[in-house]
Amino acid sequence: MTAGLCAGGFDWNLPPGFPRPPIPADNPMSAAKVDLGRFLFYDKRMSVSGQESCGSCHRQELAFTDGRAHAEGATGQLHPRSALSLVNVAYAPSLTWANPRLTSLEEQMLVPMLGEDPVELGLKGHESEFLKSLRAGPAYQKLFPQAFPDEHDLYTLSNVAKAIAAFERSIVSVRSPYDRYRWGGDSSAISDAAKRGEIIFSSSERGGCFQCHGGWNFSGAIRFAGSSADQQRGGFFNTGVSAYTAPNRGLFELTHKPEDIGKFRVPTLRNIAVTAPYMHDGSLRTLEEVIDHYAAGGRMDDPNKTRILHPFRLTDSDRRDLVEFLKSLTDEQLLHDPRWSDPWR
Amino acid sequence: MYTRRFLALGLLAAAVVWAQDAQLSIQVSGDVKQPLTLTADDLAKMPRAMVRTMNNGMETVYEGVWLHEVLKRAGVPQGSELRGKALAGYLLAEAQDGYQVVFSLAELDPAFIDNEILLADTANGKPLFGAQGRFRLVVPKDKPGARSVRMLTRIDVVQLRK
Repeated sequence: MTAGLCAGGFDWNLPPGFPRPPIPADNPMSAAKVDLGRFLFYDKRMSVSGQESCGSCHRQELAFTDGRAHAEGATGQLHPRSALSLVNVAYAPSLTWANPRLTSLEEQMLVPMLGEDPVELGLKGHESEFLKSLRAGPAYQKLFPQAFPDEHDLYTLSNVAKAIAAFERSIVSVRSPYDRYRWGGDSSAISDAAKRGEIIFSSSERGGCFQCHGGWNFSGAIRFAGSSADQQRGGFFNTGVSAYTAPNRGLFELTHKPEDIGKFRVPTLRNIAVTAPYMHDGSLRTLEEVIDHYAAGGRMDDPNKTRILHPFRLTDSDRRDLVEFLKSLTDEQLLHDPRWSDPWR
Repeated sequence: MYTRRFLALGLLAAAVVWAQDAQLSIQVSGDVKQPLTLTADDLAKMPRAMVRTMNNGMETVYEGVWLHEVLKRAGVPQGSELRGKALAGYLLAEAQDGYQVVFSLAELDPAFIDNEILLADTANGKPLFGAQGRFRLVVPKDKPGARSVRMLTRIDVVQLRK
């Protein structure tokens, strides 16, 4: 028995107890739309160079990150920030690293497609050619009508964004070894080291990691079907990672409030072991470096640094245990599941 | 040299045993008439209670014993006896890692307020384990979860006015 079975015409295939993600009224989920979104997500026609797709910076085997400190766009321009994972993005109240106003995956999709600073896919000014190439694709002549059965004007940027958003929304990870241990009743699903690491992670007196990476999603603010506005608010912290110079000043870039300098979104820690390098700027290369950063109370002094951080002592054994716990959050099935793989290969 | 090694091993074993013991029972001490050491078996014989919590859309049903029932067994003043100097009393709940929170005795007493503070030993019908500890507090009417102490090991009652 799974939760959220066939809700809204789509089977989320969630284990019992996990909430369904919210779905926007103007973009209901369907298997056909998710399938179209998968083809588009991995289609290199999505970039001005014809060499890149969404999947270039969001690789399934890396939990939909790219393994780089700074993502590289279709024209070679480097993004000032590291590519975020798309796993469980459906549960994120706001998108990207530091924009609480960007709450819609459909709206966000237009940023990499059409954005000019930085250029990601670089389709600005090439929209007509792009849509024409889709219309000419034999696969799409079947997929678009199935995904949008009641529409006459099928090949639009809006429908492209809706289909990719539906695909991204479907990338849900709640089947890690830790999930089997914590909620599935399998006491042998994770190692003793990982169990010890969980206790450090959950201790207010030591790691205290759970204070920002909380709940079943190991994230900051969260939204789900029926969640309140309060649950969706907040989740931006300055953790003393860098000097926070432009254009990497976090929330400040949007609000221009000095107290917002350095505040970035708390991402989920699910699959964190395969999403190195870490932080908004990819400045920490390994999980061990991240742990040392936090054990030092955040390496940079900053007036906005969250007071949640405080130095704490870890032995080498504690550090290894914490890393083992974080590794237990890797959902191996997600990394290879054909539902989210490249259909063009 | 061997003696020193055996001594070290002995201390290590004692520490492990202590750590396990700390998880398997709760000490109720301080300004109480009857200090207690409570195990899961002891709690199972006391009046049972249940609360439901919702955390990020995930429901959990905790079962255990109301904290005021534990205080009653320890002989802490309640109801009509909780007055005068006794109202300057509080409870210090401590976790295995040293984390501590405080509740006033009045906010635990159903004669004062309809609160729901549970000393839980099961979640969704299964014994608590892992980072929850064998015992924890569940305080569903608190907005943040900071006083829902996990890995609970000790309850200390303090009377500020003797």
